[in-house]
Amino acid sequence: MIEFIDIHKRFGTNVVLEGVSITVDTGQVLYIIGASGAGKSVLVKHLVGLLRPDSGRIILDGEDITWLDERGFYPIRRKCAMVFQNSTLFDSMTLLENVMLPLRKHQKMSRKDAAVAAHAKLELVNMEREAHQYPSAIGDGLRKRVAIARALTMDPQFVIFDEPTTGLDPMAASTVDDLIRSLRADAGVTSIVVSHDLRSIFTVADRVAMIYQGQIRLDSTPEGFRSSDDPIIHQFVNGLPEGPMAV
Amino acid sequence: MNSSAENFFEAVGTPVVEVSRAWGSLMGCGFRTLRSIVMAPIAWREVIHQAYLIGNRSVPFITVTLGFLGLISVYQVAMQIQQIIPDFSMLGAAFLQIMIREFAPTITGLMIATRVGSGIAAEIGSMTVTEQVDALRMCNADPIVYLIVPRALACTVMVLMLSIYAVLVATIAGMLIANAVFDINYRTFLSVQLVSTDDVIVGSLKALAYGFSIPVIAGNAGLTATGGSEGVGWATTRAVVNTSFAVVVLDFFLSIVGHILFSH
Repeated sequence: MIEFIDIHKRFGTNVVLEGVSITVDTGQVLYIIGASGAGKSVLVKHLVGLLRPDSGRIILDGEDITWLDERGFYPIRRKCAMVFQNSTLFDSMTLLENVMLPLRKHQKMSRKDAAVAAHAKLELVNMEREAHQYPSAIGDGLRKRVAIARALTMDPQFVIFDEPTTGLDPMAASTVDDLIRSLRADAGVTSIVVSHDLRSIFTVADRVAMIYQGQIRLDSTPEGFRSSDDPIIHQFVNGLPEGPMAV
Repeated sequence: MNSSAENFFEAVGTPVVEVSRAWGSLMGCGFRTLRSIVMAPIAWREVIHQAYLIGNRSVPFITVTLGFLGLISVYQVAMQIQQIIPDFSMLGAAFLQIMIREFAPTITGLMIATRVGSGIAAEIGSMTVTEQVDALRMCNADPIVYLIVPRALACTVMVLMLSIYAVLVATIAGMLIANAVFDINYRTFLSVQLVSTDDVIVGSLKALAYGFSIPVIAGNAGLTATGGSEGVGWATTRAVVNTSFAVVVLDFFLSIVGHILFSH
């Protein structure tokens, strides 16, 4: 179980999070939505120690991880993987080497064993044939699939997906949705998905939370989200340029 | 407290806090780099690759810059000497001493600060703003060990090598113009009678200090970049200004240290 308790975060004078509290149960898929710059990615990066809160606490499976140091977060990052918004593959490495990296660093696996395990993960996202290509040789959508394979190399219990379907064609986006669903069904993986993709939200999410002006505006099921009479939620769901939420 | 007093303290305090934070970040980066060189496994293949990029690729740049420096400095000094006492017997010896102790490492350091410092800041800054550095941290790879240590090791060795090469280039250029314009014999010019072991030690220490500080300062600028391409631009500018400044300041302090240690 993941608990964010009263998280506050500001960058200089820019206040991003003002007391965000939210809980994700084991095996659940939580979608976090909100306008660009609302603080969705900022919130999830706190879970793996890439950002530290100004105040508040983060509890992972009963353990308070808020003030662990960089080294203390290493075991957390083994069981809690993250797929970044920009794919973040390393240009100087082949796709296979990119996927091998967590195995080599976290598990100190030999090059040969890491290559075998990495091939299996690339197969999971239908990228095994491109294993020896460099990231610059493939498109954005394929890079994102490799980034997902890299995140799954450690067989994590928790996965954070930061806009996993942005920039993907509808078929590739459906493949990612299926993958998130199968992770939950087959391995009981708990996922937090930062997304604007309403189609994914209504087909995959167990719960939806919306961040607005630094706070949780709504924490509900997809149905509750869709039927909400809150004008802010209504404007977001229907993608209306006019409304109380500044565009 | 009235608002004008608050404004005053804010105006004074904000830059102080920002400078302290930047200084703390830089010192932390330098300390962690040193500790990682001692404690962490070194990626030697990457060190060699960086040595090639930093050292070999800088050879034409250093050849042209230090060649012209040798030409200009010998010509100007010889012109001054000619007006006072037309005795050029010590010109080459004095030139060689100041090259080894001062100009070769410092001018090489400044050249590497601009060429290599900007490249390191731009590369690491791009990785930071596109979350590649965060991805490294998620893979249990320390960005200092992975990105800065190989560059620091390579740059430290290569600035020393380039400084030795710079002495050679500047001396040949100086010798040629001394002979062509002032008819100074090659053998007279190539005198090492003023060069002592102290000069070699001080010159080498300067080269090593510049070589270590340039990638640390530039790497730290890259790692602290924020925003998009504008942030990378600022990081690059900051890296060039700060590395050049560091070379000049280190030159001053190491010259004093050298003077104190070897003045007897």
